[in-house]
Amino acid sequence: MQSPLYADLVLLLEITIAVALLAGAWLARKRKFREHAWCQSVAVLLNLVIVAVVMVPTFREQVSPKIPAKLGRSYVGLPAAHGTLGGIVELTALYILVAAGTKLLPERLRIRRYKLWMRTVLVAWWLVVLLGAATYVRWYVPLPFRR
Amino acid sequence: MVRTCLCITVLTFLLFNAVALLAAGSGYFGSTTQQGQEQTEEVKIDNFSFLPTTLTVAAGTTVTWINRDDIPHTVVSSDDPRVFKSKALDTDDKFSFTFTKAGTYSYFCSVHPKMTGKVVVQ
Repeated sequence: MQSPLYADLVLLLEITIAVALLAGAWLARKRKFREHAWCQSVAVLLNLVIVAVVMVPTFREQVSPKIPAKLGRSYVGLPAAHGTLGGIVELTALYILVAAGTKLLPERLRIRRYKLWMRTVLVAWWLVVLLGAATYVRWYVPLPFRR
Repeated sequence: MVRTCLCITVLTFLLFNAVALLAAGSGYFGSTTQQGQEQTEEVKIDNFSFLPTTLTVAAGTTVTWINRDDIPHTVVSSDDPRVFKSKALDTDDKFSFTFTKAGTYSYFCSVHPKMTGKVVVQ
């Protein structure tokens, strides 16, 4: 394995956060809505910190300069897809947090079909985690069948 | 007579060696270190490794790293302050640095910090 320590830690944290979101969804099914709200809020906000502190600077340094010229290469395409979908999902999750957990938004901007939004974001979140794991493998794991 | 011949032989031998040493020192016989003819060496980057891991060169040698891997790598000096630092090298990209001073120069890939190498300049 050729990964730096920060990449290992981020992967581990992201898997933990994704599992926590599943646990949070289970809490909602058990009608423990207060615990559900806390669990999902902590997960989404912790992810926001990781994205801002680690992912964005790394992306800007190692991936952005190769876009669009090398977008067809998997080591650029995978993190680009991960970053784009991840950004959309994180922003949507934050929107749900604000819409569901506060009264900051005006009535017309509130979400009505919470379950649909939350479940869609949860599925998309796991897709982003898988793209992130694929990016990790592409960048840091020597594979014999790569060539 | 014999002593004179012996003296001439010894003197000729000494003179020959002195000339040979001077010629070698001045690069008269086409040494590769003569001025204007730069020496070059190559380090291949492949499969998350620098090959050779340790390269020994003479002072004044230009070392070129070529990325033959299918993932970006960098070549960054471990010294503080950094002696050399490449940008991220894509496949088939090159980076060169001329080592003018003797010493041991350790370096690594900043993307994959466990990838390390060394250039020994004599």
